[in-house]
Amino acid sequence: MDRRKFLKSSLSVGAVAASGGLAAPALSQGAAAKTLKFVPQANLANFDPVWGTQYVVRNASQLVWDTLYGLNSKLEPKRQMVASEEVSADGLTWTFKLRDGLKFHDGEKVLAKDVVASITRWTSRDAMGQMLKAINKELTAVDDTTIKWVLAKPYPKMLYALGKVGTPCCFIMPERIAKTDPFKQIEEYIGSGPMKFVRADWKPGAIAAFEKFGDYAPRNEPSDWWAGGKVMSFDRVEWIIMPDPATASAALQSGEIDWWETPLTDLVPVLKRNRNIKVDIADPLGNIGSFRLNHLHPPFNDVKVRRAVQMALSQEDYMRAMSGSDTALWSKLGSVFTPGTATFSDAGGEVLTGPRNIDGAKKLLAEAGYSGQPVTCLVAQDQPPLKAMGEVTADLLKKIGMTVDFVATDWGTVGQRRASKNPPGQGGWGMFHTWHAGADAANPAGHIACRAGGEKGPAWFGWPDDPKVEEGVAQWFDAKSPEEEKAAMAVANKASMESVTWIPTGFYKSFQAWRSNLEGVSDGPLPWFWGVKKS
Amino acid sequence: MLTYIVRRLLSTVMVMAIVALFVFSLLYIAPGDPAAVIAGEQASPEDVEKIRTALGLDRPFVVRFTEWAWQIVRYQNLGTSMFTGLPVTELIVQRIEPTLSLAVLTLIVAIVIAVPMGIVAAWQAGGWIDRFVMAFAVAGFSVPVFVVGYLLSYFFALYLEWLPTQGYTPISRGLWPWLENLILPTIALGFVYIALIARITRATMLEVLSQDYVRTAKAKGVGQGSILFLHALKNAAVPIVTVIGIGVALLIGGAVVTESVFAIPGLGRLTIDAIVRRDYPVIQGIVLMFSFVYVIVNLCVDLAYTALDPRIRY
Repeated sequence: MDRRKFLKSSLSVGAVAASGGLAAPALSQGAAAKTLKFVPQANLANFDPVWGTQYVVRNASQLVWDTLYGLNSKLEPKRQMVASEEVSADGLTWTFKLRDGLKFHDGEKVLAKDVVASITRWTSRDAMGQMLKAINKELTAVDDTTIKWVLAKPYPKMLYALGKVGTPCCFIMPERIAKTDPFKQIEEYIGSGPMKFVRADWKPGAIAAFEKFGDYAPRNEPSDWWAGGKVMSFDRVEWIIMPDPATASAALQSGEIDWWETPLTDLVPVLKRNRNIKVDIADPLGNIGSFRLNHLHPPFNDVKVRRAVQMALSQEDYMRAMSGSDTALWSKLGSVFTPGTATFSDAGGEVLTGPRNIDGAKKLLAEAGYSGQPVTCLVAQDQPPLKAMGEVTADLLKKIGMTVDFVATDWGTVGQRRASKNPPGQGGWGMFHTWHAGADAANPAGHIACRAGGEKGPAWFGWPDDPKVEEGVAQWFDAKSPEEEKAAMAVANKASMESVTWIPTGFYKSFQAWRSNLEGVSDGPLPWFWGVKKS
Repeated sequence: MLTYIVRRLLSTVMVMAIVALFVFSLLYIAPGDPAAVIAGEQASPEDVEKIRTALGLDRPFVVRFTEWAWQIVRYQNLGTSMFTGLPVTELIVQRIEPTLSLAVLTLIVAIVIAVPMGIVAAWQAGGWIDRFVMAFAVAGFSVPVFVVGYLLSYFFALYLEWLPTQGYTPISRGLWPWLENLILPTIALGFVYIALIARITRATMLEVLSQDYVRTAKAKGVGQGSILFLHALKNAAVPIVTVIGIGVALLIGGAVVTESVFAIPGLGRLTIDAIVRRDYPVIQGIVLMFSFVYVIVNLCVDLAYTALDPRIRY
């Protein structure tokens, strides 16, 4: 018994006497072992994984809603709710059969019509879903367990689309909920996943709780990321929101919480010294730091100016500013895609990873006729990685002789202003900083940032326009083998580097930390709760 | 007196109407877009625009303000959070207990400690107790709440393991579990108020203790305790009560920091979360509620004057 427990038990006696028996019901050790206290990366401010596409919403949703397919650690889509699938020889008709024993938390069976409604809602919001919607001819429930999807054009990435982890994911909801306008929030949180959402305990900004769904029938296979059997050993999972990293660190050290998703790098040495805590890389797919350039207005509408910045910037400077000197956490990256995956390509990426050339950058700027017009650089001060990147960028631009209009603001304002196509002096912008989750950027599937379709799209903020990039992306979607996918990504990456659609500032990972009495914590793009046990 | 109270309560309505208009206008012109935050990092500009339309953010200022104000006046409905989809009233009710607990406990602790400290310091003016109290007051003003919070958390929670580092337990689950979570936050937040109230008490008492009637009381042989607490303190009470009233207002700001440091799910954190996300209905609802609290606290302070000083009449 530690001092606190001793003190607590001693004082409780007095408190019971003083308060007329108003003491709290104590949790038994068994009950405590059945409850997981988890500190997520952010506040669960809404709970509709299609309407709100923040990662924290997806991470919570995986407990409540199931998916037809799930990606494993090799990024291969595997069956989850589906028992079998069949595709016609021409690749136009897909037939999916649901597996037995699927039930929603309200006791109703999961039916094909629920799947049809859920897919329909998802296709309105997701990038891959929108591609499918564009070639959709007929999506119907043939019977209670069979779904038929007829397309106008083959779509080889169908299973990947239905099982991908990039937001929004294709979660399956009851038909009545899935019929909600995709741009409006759902009001019922009924899924068929391994945990039920406890609406009464949800205090946004404070706590979200999930209780085990007794009727959940996991697949009879070992779990591997989002694939396989989702066997929960906890009766209750509590998400406790802690905005202050120092508080979360103290709570983990004192055993008040079990698992902290995103410890601040500065606090990791303290946690590593504690023998009751384990610390490891959270997500092998990491993140890609980036800054977006506005291709619509000077100076970045000139490829020479973009190339000048590209040849001068040092990714090492960015990574050290963001992640510190632990080189296990970061690396240089000559690609717009996530390194370490089977189809990764950094073709043409030496312009970022090779020697830096400040003089060459100055020369290019002179050739472009750059005459000192200010670059409106949006920097969100409330996001530490973005703030660090912004400061490095400002220094870089000054070094090569550019004038910087450093707009220190918050992420909410960046989110609004980056959508403006006005010139920088009229409420627009020249560049802003952001990052992309490695799982999203592993290929062009959900990686809208890699697109270069110009103002008419598809393209993300900055609106780069490069048909060669789009050609590579189109080849990827049509690819039928990993080799073809890799070749397509090489085309897209090389073109992206040449026309400098946007600039990756490096690849970085982060840690997760948990109490050593927790077993089965694995890495991945999101925290997997199945297979985790508390002793 | 009754007329005065009714008049003040009526003026509250006017104050809140002005606050409502001011806050709504401020949020309207402030940069930031909740639709962009909701849509997420990977969202396309088209999706952001559709969400903005669905939230009604594309409508003119007058339409939005009138609709919001009408909902409050007609249905006492503060609206719905744009992010959580929950009624603002429900969000506020969820968070009131922790903040109220922290605020009340802090005020009690601050008054119980600070007033005697100030009295003793004034009584022993120039002595070592007085110097200690003044040094404490300087420290209380100088050290930020979060620094005190972290130090307390490190020493009492991590090092001694006596108290939890964070969290809040409702009082319905027991007196000790409730108190256990509030001890450190109360000390952290109370530090500055103890300093403030102690200083004011000392200064006011010093002035009162130099009055002729106190000298007369001493000459008559009245005991020291009676002089300090019955004669002097009662006459020094008006400025002290005023400062305590101002302290309630300041407490809200302090609670924001304290609630973050100790992960207490109170109104302070709700406010910050709402501001960061641009959750306009929540921000408006909280500001209205706080302005109401301020007005009522000021009214209570004004009424307390009449009880403390019979010369004051409304």
